[in-house]
Amino acid sequence: MNNLKKKKNIKLLQGNEACAEGALLAGVRFFAGYPITPSSEIAENMARKLPKIGGKFIQMEDEIASMAAVIGASIAGLKSLTATSGPGMCLKQENLGFAIINEIPCVVVNAQRGGPSTGSPTKPSQGDMMQARWGTHGDHPIIALAPSTVNEILTLTIKAFNFSEKYRTPVILLLDEVIAHMREKVEIPAPEDIEVINRKKPTVPPEEYLPFKPDEDGVPSMANFGEGYRYHITGLIHNEKGLPTANSQEIDAFIRRLHNKIQKNIKDIIINKKYSLDDAKIALIAYGSVARAAERTVKLAREEGLKVGLLKLLTIWPFCFEEVNRLAQKVDLIIVPEMNLGQMVLEVERASQGKCRVVPYGRVDGELINPIEILRKIREEMRK
Amino acid sequence: MKQKKILEVYQNNSVKISVRREWCKSCGICIEFCPKDVLVPDDQEKPIPENIDACIKCGLCELRCPDFAITVEGAEEKNE
Repeated sequence: MNNLKKKKNIKLLQGNEACAEGALLAGVRFFAGYPITPSSEIAENMARKLPKIGGKFIQMEDEIASMAAVIGASIAGLKSLTATSGPGMCLKQENLGFAIINEIPCVVVNAQRGGPSTGSPTKPSQGDMMQARWGTHGDHPIIALAPSTVNEILTLTIKAFNFSEKYRTPVILLLDEVIAHMREKVEIPAPEDIEVINRKKPTVPPEEYLPFKPDEDGVPSMANFGEGYRYHITGLIHNEKGLPTANSQEIDAFIRRLHNKIQKNIKDIIINKKYSLDDAKIALIAYGSVARAAERTVKLAREEGLKVGLLKLLTIWPFCFEEVNRLAQKVDLIIVPEMNLGQMVLEVERASQGKCRVVPYGRVDGELINPIEILRKIREEMRK
Repeated sequence: MKQKKILEVYQNNSVKISVRREWCKSCGICIEFCPKDVLVPDDQEKPIPENIDACIKCGLCELRCPDFAITVEGAEEKNE
């Protein structure tokens, strides 16, 4: 073989398998979860693979405990993952808030299915977009990513861990049943080809360590429990020592810092892809499996001579306000197809500031949105 | 206003009550359940053993504190 090019590692993987693969590449060594369709294969794969590389897999008694275990493992220094679907996501909310206030890096996968409640376990949905943003109480920031291909699931899982470690925050990875169960070609990168970010460790001795004193970037360094750095962790709003505070100045500074560490790095966090938007008069904004259909719609519309483009959102939260605002000034119409009755379209409307018409297109019958119906919607709106 | 220390120690001849102020979240449970009304809240709702002479060293405040922020020490009374 005189082919000097590195042989690519191409595999046919299911979305959930790709998620597990990405997590392992990112350095995950702990998984706690409670299996639920359509996310179970993530747990199955982690159960199979983690013990072989010195990691730990635990099936917990429920999702509340799973989230708690993930938090504990992360404080002890391991990159930790849990995966669930809507009903389990509800249970995780309380501890998700605990992870946010204590700035504990971890990734929570929500493979969305129809809801509310037990809903439609094997059917796709995008009904949890706002839950991802506001599911746990309190004025908190969050990072949520939504891949739309199996390959993107792998790369965004790695990204999710990088964001969580870099900004010390839980990151939610929003899949939907379609891409979670879909099998597709995936190029698995070599470990040396991927960027893996690890949390900052304290540079001071234990007696000088202040666990919640931020560095210049607003993110405090994080010591592993059990390595001599003794500190207090509480769900109460805390001072730099980690001890509860009722001081209004300290409370204000803390909540603002939580938000700022995300908001000030919005350029780093927001990822999206543009398709034929340069000369577009009609823009589609889509994410997850619907973005695949929308991409096809753009092709079909262009064949008909319609100037349609697509903005595919990969980072859902924080929302790409500036990007959509600029787009709204350029196009006449934005259509937001999604598998709910209008969630992200609200953000698109807010960001558009009335500069163009924004139309939702929702489907909640448990079937995925296909390219032809989006095209039909475009034609229908053009007649108005 | 006088800045209070992290560990405030109050004592008389028979009892020593220590309040670790930075561990205290001002829940008030020690004050509420003291059978002798020894403890009174300060401006931050944290306990001050103002009536320390009334303390019978029952230790209920220490037992109930969710954050181990208050301790009661003193010579045990000998049982006959």
